[in-house]
Amino acid sequence: MAELTVTSEPSPFGVPSRKLGIWMFIVADAATFAAMLFAYGYVRVANPDWTRPFTVWPTIVNGIVMTVVLLTSSLTIIAALLAAQAGRRTTALRWLGATMLLGTLFAALHLREWVAMIGDGWRLFRNPLGGAPLVGATFFSITGLHLLHVITGVIVIGVIALGYRRGRFDPGHLEVTGLYWHFVDLVWMFVFPLVYLLNVR
Amino acid sequence: MKRYVIVWLGLLAIVALEVVLTLAHLRSGVLLAGLLGLAIIEAGLGLMYFMHLRYERRSFTWSLILAVVITVVLMDHFWLDAFRLLHQRLSAP
Repeated sequence: MAELTVTSEPSPFGVPSRKLGIWMFIVADAATFAAMLFAYGYVRVANPDWTRPFTVWPTIVNGIVMTVVLLTSSLTIIAALLAAQAGRRTTALRWLGATMLLGTLFAALHLREWVAMIGDGWRLFRNPLGGAPLVGATFFSITGLHLLHVITGVIVIGVIALGYRRGRFDPGHLEVTGLYWHFVDLVWMFVFPLVYLLNVR
Repeated sequence: MKRYVIVWLGLLAIVALEVVLTLAHLRSGVLLAGLLGLAIIEAGLGLMYFMHLRYERRSFTWSLILAVVITVVLMDHFWLDAFRLLHQRLSAP
């Protein structure tokens, strides 16, 4: 009986399968966010009575703090990856913890803002300022989907950190998780100017 | 790490510039163009350095970038209909 021989071919893109997989997910997710931002642009252009609900204080100042927090978390996850690649497990875990803390802070600031807006009478299809009712729908859906990504990211980083501490995961897993986290940061780079800054009164 | 800190500082500077542009009370179209341009530069820095696309094979980098660019270009077909609705509502009695 002939023996089956398995030959290993190099990856056509020079990346491991899990890295290719997360990039495919990122491309698909980027299309999802692009579609939501285009839908927001569409209803904004089509509604001459569009309302600009935000003031510099507190909304934009809060948004700037959230942006700085998220950008800093991208730096801390890179520090975690570099430490892991250098074999400094404890340092890597500390940086992963810092990233989770910053992600949680971002989510808390975001939820505080939502609660304040809901308190002011904003709903998915109700505009307390009297203009186009879709302002709330676009704001809550775009920022809500992003917030869902942040919360998911914090949980995933926690799971990966636990596995890495126990030796089940290697620096490659941290890199893939980092790519997802940077993508969440990258989406915010479009959400903050387009959804917040373009809606300042 | 130093390189990443420099990119991080650059990204913070771009955010500051975006806020300054917003407070300058420019015309909506000019502000939109400025903010979009800065966001694309930010995204480029994030992709190339934080996400390490700069260090991947060119075939890989371009296949990813082209996939997103083509998708976004296809979505631009909706603008014509958005402006049609705008004109229709503005001319309504």
